[in-house]
Amino acid sequence: MKIFRNPDVMWREEDEYKEQAYKGLEQGEDVEDIGTSVLYSGGEMLSLNVLGTEIWKRCDGKTIDEIASELVAIFDVESEALKNDTAGFVNELKGKGYLYEE
Amino acid sequence: MKNDFLPGSPLTINWAFTNKCNFKCSHCYSRNDPSDELSFEALSKCIEHVADAGVLSINFGGGEPLLRKDLTDLSEYASSLGLRVSMNSNGYLLDMEKAVELKRRGFSKVGISIDSHVAGIHDDFRGISGSHERAVRALSFLNDAGIETSISTVICRINHKDIDALTGFALQNRVRQLNFHNFKCSGLGYSNKDTLDLSSEEWGEFYRRALEVRDKTKGLEISLDDPIIALLGTSNKSSMVKGSICGKLSLNIKTNGDITPCGFIPIVIGNITRDNLKEIWKTSPVLEKMRHKKATGKCTECGRFDDCLGGCTARAIALTGDMNNPDPHCWYQK
Repeated sequence: MKIFRNPDVMWREEDEYKEQAYKGLEQGEDVEDIGTSVLYSGGEMLSLNVLGTEIWKRCDGKTIDEIASELVAIFDVESEALKNDTAGFVNELKGKGYLYEE
Repeated sequence: MKNDFLPGSPLTINWAFTNKCNFKCSHCYSRNDPSDELSFEALSKCIEHVADAGVLSINFGGGEPLLRKDLTDLSEYASSLGLRVSMNSNGYLLDMEKAVELKRRGFSKVGISIDSHVAGIHDDFRGISGSHERAVRALSFLNDAGIETSISTVICRINHKDIDALTGFALQNRVRQLNFHNFKCSGLGYSNKDTLDLSSEEWGEFYRRALEVRDKTKGLEISLDDPIIALLGTSNKSSMVKGSICGKLSLNIKTNGDITPCGFIPIVIGNITRDNLKEIWKTSPVLEKMRHKKATGKCTECGRFDDCLGGCTARAIALTGDMNNPDPHCWYQK
């Protein structure tokens, strides 16, 4: 199944936080709590950390496997774990109506 | 994510391009505002500035936006810069041709103000005979033109018991969203508060009932933009934003470019024609104070303060003069 962003959802990357997160990643720090993008819909805001942001950006018609395989080049994590993380993320945001499958 | 996350700039801006209006609403907050209007050229530069700062959407308000002759030039320009454009209108000046033009020139969503399912009640409240009929027709034109629609209803003495009827009316008129706006004591809303505003107990009863209707209604989003509903163990917003979204996700810009935390808080924190929006967002002492409100009075004993943060800051300022005071609409008793 291909994953798409709901076009009603507005979003942007947060440049300053993104820089901070990538610096932290380089130094082996835990950057899970740094929001590097925001999604905004219906008056509600969601903030995504660096992994969530990179998955979100790739939800443009790719499958979960395709997204996970691209992320291997960015994150020092085993591909199976990335696939699980991607599937979990997609499921959660599908539930909120932010993503859909075709 | 942590709950204290603050985006690098506002996500959305409510922007009054004109204070002119063809209506005489009893609760209007802008009717007596003497601020000048910016020219198309000045506004275009301001819109560029806002887009460069990363703002995602702007909502045109006022005043009646359709009275501004260059409205669709502005919307088209804003849209071309990637901004999502919407507006709130009374709908009186909308016909099919205008609706099609709005769609073609950048508007993705239009909210129409309707305060009662009963035409005569709405017309009296808005001060214009026939305005209800025109508003309903406007919704039909907008829907047919492919623009997402909503109804904005200011909850007050004339309609607080009509939740079911207002919901049915919204469903009948094919809108996507029904916004129940809490009554603000600003402008004429302050002058007329004694006849229009509800008691805190009545607000509590209204929200209990509105949440019941919201939860059982299908095919219509019902929005309750009031932080004090946290008192009922629920919230309308993402858990990331506690209390009001003003100054945390959104800002307001007046016709002369003055920036305020919201349209109902008359504290100017900068001007978009001369100041840097991102700097104001990060450094304004007023915004800082709004983002870190302190519990006072009965809020110190209420277990919900962490969720509602004292309720609507605009109301606290308007009626008590201090944003940290409890929202006067709050029905919590020690």
